[in-house]
Amino acid sequence: MSDIAVAKILDLKGLPCPMPVVKMSQEIGSVQVGEVIEVHTTDPGSLSDFPAWASTAGQEVLTSEQNNGVIKIFVKRLV
Amino acid sequence: MVDKIFYFIMVPMVYLAFAWCAVGIMWKVVSILRLPKQTHTLKIFPEKSAAGLRATIEAFTMPSVRRHQPVLWFFLGVFHLGILGLILSHLDLLPQINLVSAESKHMLGNGAIGVAVTVSVLYFLLRRFRTPIREISVPADYLILFLLFLIFITGDTISWANSWNPDGFVLTKQDFGAYLNSLVHFTFTNPRDLLTGSHYVVIVIHVLLANLLLLALPFSKIMHTFFAVPLNRLRRV
Amino acid sequence: MDETRKQELIKTLSSRLNQAMRMYLDNCTRCGTCIEACHAYASEPDIKYSPVGRAQNIRRLYEKYFKGAGKLAPWLSEAIEFDDAVMKKVYDTAYTCTGCRRCVTYCPFGIDTQQIQSLAKQLLIVADMEPKVLSMLADMSIAKGKNIDKTKGSFATAVSNLETEVLERWRSEAGAKAVPLDVQDANVLYIALAGKHSIIPAASIMNAAKEKWSLSYFEAVNFGAFVGNPQKTKEIADRIIQEATRLNVKEVVICECGTAYRVMKYMTGEHPFKVISFIELIARYLQEGRIKLDKAKLQGRKVTYHDPCQLARNGGVYEEPRYILSHLTDDFVEMTPTREDNWCCGGGGGLVAMGEKDFRMKSAKVKVDQFTATGAQVLSTACENCHTQLSDLSEHYKTGVKVEYLSDLVSKALVQE
Repeated sequence: MSDIAVAKILDLKGLPCPMPVVKMSQEIGSVQVGEVIEVHTTDPGSLSDFPAWASTAGQEVLTSEQNNGVIKIFVKRLV
Repeated sequence: MVDKIFYFIMVPMVYLAFAWCAVGIMWKVVSILRLPKQTHTLKIFPEKSAAGLRATIEAFTMPSVRRHQPVLWFFLGVFHLGILGLILSHLDLLPQINLVSAESKHMLGNGAIGVAVTVSVLYFLLRRFRTPIREISVPADYLILFLLFLIFITGDTISWANSWNPDGFVLTKQDFGAYLNSLVHFTFTNPRDLLTGSHYVVIVIHVLLANLLLLALPFSKIMHTFFAVPLNRLRRV
Repeated sequence: MDETRKQELIKTLSSRLNQAMRMYLDNCTRCGTCIEACHAYASEPDIKYSPVGRAQNIRRLYEKYFKGAGKLAPWLSEAIEFDDAVMKKVYDTAYTCTGCRRCVTYCPFGIDTQQIQSLAKQLLIVADMEPKVLSMLADMSIAKGKNIDKTKGSFATAVSNLETEVLERWRSEAGAKAVPLDVQDANVLYIALAGKHSIIPAASIMNAAKEKWSLSYFEAVNFGAFVGNPQKTKEIADRIIQEATRLNVKEVVICECGTAYRVMKYMTGEHPFKVISFIELIARYLQEGRIKLDKAKLQGRKVTYHDPCQLARNGGVYEEPRYILSHLTDDFVEMTPTREDNWCCGGGGGLVAMGEKDFRMKSAKVKVDQFTATGAQVLSTACENCHTQLSDLSEHYKTGVKVEYLSDLVSKALVQE
């Protein structure tokens, strides 16, 4: 998924509950509408949490990928 | 005019105060009973055996206060046992009830109970003037303690004044018994005819203050008397 | 504040007046015994950090709207009306309290400040003043419940990717799934948190015990409870209840998360399954001889244990962690005070999720003094919230004490025969 233009990379690996989503919600405002944040995490739960968060926050999870225990989630700011 | 006011305080107002207080307490208890119950447990762990009995014992012995505020606990103990003693000693004035000998001129406790509760209530009052209790106190807290203090101090005065005459008692347990007996039999006798001591005005003030306490009681935090056990049960059962 | 909002707040206050709440609000004698029960007051002696100080903010409103004396002579009880300034005090009641309920053990009546705190939280929601991060997390949990089918696949992939790390701690038999999902009629449905640190140790321990278990798709923590919204609390818990019912499991086992345990065990009614904490499950495995632990792993390090408030004082799990520790080390030291008297870590009630680092650090000074006094190098605990807060404290105050999950210590000490 390297063809997605990423405005910011957030490293949220190894954070305790519920910090990955909290940090994501705080950081989304730091990019422009239409831009994408790439999140790196090690939490399996993030794969369900981020789309659920995006649906309530009006943002969009474009896709996710998993490699060598690192989960990458691509979140696009819509609002 | 003063006689009429004194009579009102000593007889009709006593009935009004008792009736108001009884209805007020019942209304309050019923209004709480009619509310929905707590749905999930509010227990503190570890669970204790015989939890209901334990909650009741804790309500009366306040072990947490003994542990964390031993001086307060001592005075709370003296005060609450003293109140119980005062209720008994006032009932004992009636000729039908004889906890101490009917011939005794003294009330139960010879006035010592009154002094004990006076000192306790003074302690409760004075600690409210100090940080941090001062910061959580509201005017009603001071007023109710001050009212209790006045009731107790006039009671102590009556006790003491009864022996003002070097020849013996001005007013005895039997004289007060006659007044209370006239109240329970609704004879509407003028108490002045039964209580001839020169400190009658102190007795009137004592009764007036006690009437005020009864009027305020259902709306005051003294209602914890009726809720201490159910509250303690929430924590244990 | 406009009249409509005021009326909504009065209505909300009224809706919470059940028998217990009325008795709590009516009967406080303001004796002050509770004041020193609070870790925040003990660390920072300001009356607004005392249980009674917090309760008074709500009690004064109650007096104003629900008591004759408060209506006729508000000065007597300092009764107050809802306005913007008062709501700031309501905020203090809600979010300077961790809901640890230590004060309940001090009060001669047992007045429950956590109940009053949760009422304050509900008022803040009506006033649109609640910490938005907690509402956001609660909404996320609910949305997750509704859309779980869309993300089950990627979650399953992530979970299977944990296999190597699980096997490092316990080599299961060939062919057995290291982290099983959707196991019908499982003995145990394990409810983890989002992070792998709450899955890997548990998986290795349950595999070592040859348990028939299944990992839940949902996280244990209930943000509805943190934000004080009863409806959301129920919806979030219902996701797990439905999953457990669908899989027909015998036991729902809650990971090391105190709030999750108390909410599921004591606050969501009767269930067709048993609810226990993971700590209780580990203790049972040890008792039944299903797992064995090697004390050498902790050799040379003194260990203490922090009782998470929601697990111990409010949940009753005291003996199991100590039993587990007796299998892990011979050098265990209790904190003083301990068990039901233990100081709260200062991170509960949503404070960790909200950030609030300054307040958390300053209000829990007494906790730092307590665990450093033990001389232990390892501070074990069994709650994610406590773990985060204690780690922050240890770092902030430079204590050098290492905070560890009990499950992590156990999984690293598993003896493979």
